[in-house]
Amino acid sequence: MNNGKIPLLQVVNLKKHFVSGSRLSGKQVLTAVDGISFEIYRGETFGLVGESGCGKTTAGRTICRLYNPTDGQLIFDNIDITNMSEKELKPIRRRMQMIFQDPYASLNTRMTITDIIAEGIDTHKLLTGIERENRIYELLEVVGLKREHASRYPHEFSGGQRQRIGIARSLAVNPDLIICDEPISALDVSIQAQIVNMLEDLQKEFGLTYLFIAHDLSMVRHISDRIGVMYLGKLVEVSDCDELYTNPLHPYTQSLLSSIPIPNPRENSKKKRIILEGDITSPINPKPGCRFAPRCRYAQDICRQVTPELRELGEGHTVACHLVEEIKKGFNHESD
Amino acid sequence: MRKEDFEFVDSSLKQDKEQIRTSLTYWKDAWRRLKQNRLALVGLIAIILITLIAIFGPLFTAHTYREQDNDKINTTPALDIYQIDDGLFVYVSRQYRLFIVSEDGVLGDLLVNTETNVNLRYKTYEYNGEEITLDYSYKFSDDPEYKDIDFTFTYKDVETFEKHKTVLNKTYPFGTDQLGRDVMTRVFYGARISLTVALVATLVNLFIGVAYGAISGLEGGKVDNTMMRIVDIINSIPLLLYVILLMVMIDNRGLWTIIITLGSVYWVGMARLVRGQVLSLKNQEFVLAARMLGVSKGKTITKHLIPNALGPIIVSMTMMIPTAVFTESFLSFIGLGISAPTASWGTLANDALGGLELFPYQLFFPSLAIAITMLAFNFLGDGLRTALDPRLRKG
Repeated sequence: MNNGKIPLLQVVNLKKHFVSGSRLSGKQVLTAVDGISFEIYRGETFGLVGESGCGKTTAGRTICRLYNPTDGQLIFDNIDITNMSEKELKPIRRRMQMIFQDPYASLNTRMTITDIIAEGIDTHKLLTGIERENRIYELLEVVGLKREHASRYPHEFSGGQRQRIGIARSLAVNPDLIICDEPISALDVSIQAQIVNMLEDLQKEFGLTYLFIAHDLSMVRHISDRIGVMYLGKLVEVSDCDELYTNPLHPYTQSLLSSIPIPNPRENSKKKRIILEGDITSPINPKPGCRFAPRCRYAQDICRQVTPELRELGEGHTVACHLVEEIKKGFNHESD
Repeated sequence: MRKEDFEFVDSSLKQDKEQIRTSLTYWKDAWRRLKQNRLALVGLIAIILITLIAIFGPLFTAHTYREQDNDKINTTPALDIYQIDDGLFVYVSRQYRLFIVSEDGVLGDLLVNTETNVNLRYKTYEYNGEEITLDYSYKFSDDPEYKDIDFTFTYKDVETFEKHKTVLNKTYPFGTDQLGRDVMTRVFYGARISLTVALVATLVNLFIGVAYGAISGLEGGKVDNTMMRIVDIINSIPLLLYVILLMVMIDNRGLWTIIITLGSVYWVGMARLVRGQVLSLKNQEFVLAARMLGVSKGKTITKHLIPNALGPIIVSMTMMIPTAVFTESFLSFIGLGISAPTASWGTLANDALGGLELFPYQLFFPSLAIAITMLAFNFLGDGLRTALDPRLRKG
């Protein structure tokens, strides 16, 4: 997993705030991503999970500099890319690609599949003429499509096929890191498995590193080596995949994991679900303290006053919660 | 189920059947839907006809747009002819000029006027040494008995007062204007000028508007704010007033002046439209994907944004052409447009104003041309709007 321990991407205290409103109506700051830090090692898959609106997608887009970070540092392969201009970024862009969520919106409907896949090749002037053509056929076959598809238009394909085209487009420039922004959430369950398996195969074949953003916990467990759990713009727990699923420490992670259905109705009905009270708090002008405190059943005064930092508890397992130790006792007690 | 019930499928059947199917592109699909809209097709055909007439019409008429025939001024499209002798037909113009005319409406020579008596309301003309007297006093008579009589002719001592028939003017199908120019040729020629002005002005608008709007929308932030405030300022000046001022400022009044004036002002609408489209497109995932691949801003505009905004742009362009035709006609009508002897539909309408009561046809034909053109473009524009609507297209 962390073998060799070479971080390909380091995210240090990354923040992305969106300012809305004018000086007259009062400025509002939406803290979409509020100081997240993690590393992704070469060849691994880092899963980023959290409920809708917690800032996963914003984090992904900020990491690849589609959004300019408000604060923090992004280090890609020992190069600081935090404040690079678009021009300086161009060679980095070749090495860092993205697979998008909506296969219907991520392909330009006015371009043929050839033009879509070749866009990166043409932009970086990687190949021309017959080599370019062969590369496109090769990529189509790599993602399980046919040569004959090259001259078609996106609307002639199904969602799964379109996602494959999107994957071929990102593979065309031979990237090191691929940010998968919920690549399977818009697909049918049967197609989801196909795409995830294909992503795993591609990872082995081309030595890719993935940042896998998703909210489907079982799928994330399947593909990830390490997982970060986000809640309202903050990372609440980072851990190895198996460790997280067997020993969740943060109360949010616990409730999140308890929502995974067990594919056996008898067992599922016996299972205890931790149902969160209340709604997700607004990310606009947040108060200090733990973001999760208003919904946390263990919350105490300290949680509402002091923002918890990520603390390392066990190897590679970090949690941002003041009460981990106490909860752990209680949790173990409960399960006894 | 037994094994024998099954048989092996021929391998050729397993091939993807889809390979044979040609792909239905966006434009093919739009054309298919446009064809179903009858009104839009009528508009399209009318536009093609008008364009053909504008290009080739003036070549096939017997007269040129500037050729004057001082004898045959203000002749009407329909001629009331009188038979004053065997095979001798005459036509009286509204100014009591007497023309020889054939029975089927070919206009002959103007007869020489030998005597005019305004008090007794008669005129005499000479034809082949004989005298024709035209008495138009009945026209002014209040006696209901003579209500139906307009003119009486005396030729070789025979009096004629009964209208023979009304025929269409074969020499000048749309009549002539007050300078004896063929109205039909001038309307055809005017189509050239009006459509050229409209088309070129619209193209200028298109290029400025699309480039301006796309840059403003894609850049966003301060650039967008500044660019759009400039548009607001231009838009807050009454456009017609601005155009009139510009036309007065630029002395040389010709085709190009009016094109430049129209082009320099009317792009703001297009710029706004394109900016709106770009704003809604630029956060779509395919544009983000292009950014991720390092595609430059210029390429993003030309390859991703404009092709996807083309539907509304085309619709707006089709709607802009009739507006430009109308504005050009209006400016020419108030005397700021094309100068004589060049004719646009607007100048034709303006020229016709003087004799409106007596010669309404001189206003009718250019106005009809303007109306048909505007209607045709509006029908087509509406049809295109429906045909290019992305909501009607699946996937």
